[in-house]
Amino acid sequence: MNNLMRELRSERGWSQADLAQQLDVSRQTVNAIETGKYDPSLPLAFKIARLFGMTIEMIFVPGEE
Amino acid sequence: MRRFSQKQYEWRVLAAMGVYSAFLLYIWPMVRNTGSYPLKVLLGVAPALPVIYVLGQLARRIRASDELEQRTHLIALGVAMGVVGALSLAGGFLSISGVVKLDGSILIWVFPVMMFSYGATRWRVLRNYGGPSCDDELSIWPWLRFLLVGGVVLLMAALHPQGLEGYRLGFIYGTGAGIFLVGLVVALRQWLKRRARHP
Repeated sequence: MNNLMRELRSERGWSQADLAQQLDVSRQTVNAIETGKYDPSLPLAFKIARLFGMTIEMIFVPGEE
Repeated sequence: MRRFSQKQYEWRVLAAMGVYSAFLLYIWPMVRNTGSYPLKVLLGVAPALPVIYVLGQLARRIRASDELEQRTHLIALGVAMGVVGALSLAGGFLSISGVVKLDGSILIWVFPVMMFSYGATRWRVLRNYGGPSCDDELSIWPWLRFLLVGGVVLLMAALHPQGLEGYRLGFIYGTGAGIFLVGLVVALRQWLKRRARHP
């Protein structure tokens, strides 16, 4: 799954640690999601979407299977 | 739930392991010279108390982890359980068949083997997700960890109780010095790396 998290975070001038703190997860989890190594659970995806003021589909895009 | 940082966890585990080592060196040897049965039991299980505390801290750390961290803990604990289970089963069959002679003291290795398997697996799983530690920047520097552990072991050897001489004392001194030396090497490597990055 691809996502726009890195771009959205950069637009707001947040570091990975800033975003991690707001989502109440570790910095490494933010990094793993941004690099596509880990797909977040639905509750965390909703939390991310709410934080950026967008819908899940706008941030997370299904990759090629 | 408030996050429980890697650094907090590591300091607590280091302190508990210090207490564990002190118990092993100073309290536990008294078991053999004690006549009272209840006191024998109390002294016998004393070293297990800091270990139980460490298990409690591990449980707290897992409970306060985020979903990715919990996944890594689950995989690591699953592998650790598998390793210990398989070894116990194989050892049990070998012992029953008379190939090897095992007594109850072998049980002392269950916890170290389980923790080693857990630690090694978690380190490997975390590498797949992009880092050696989920709270890498918040953990105690590895070189400091080695120096602290080595220092504590050396201190214990220096303050050794009476009766601990010869080979056993030399072994403790050697272990402490070895761990301390590893800390120095890791610190030197880190310093050289940092200097190469920011000349």
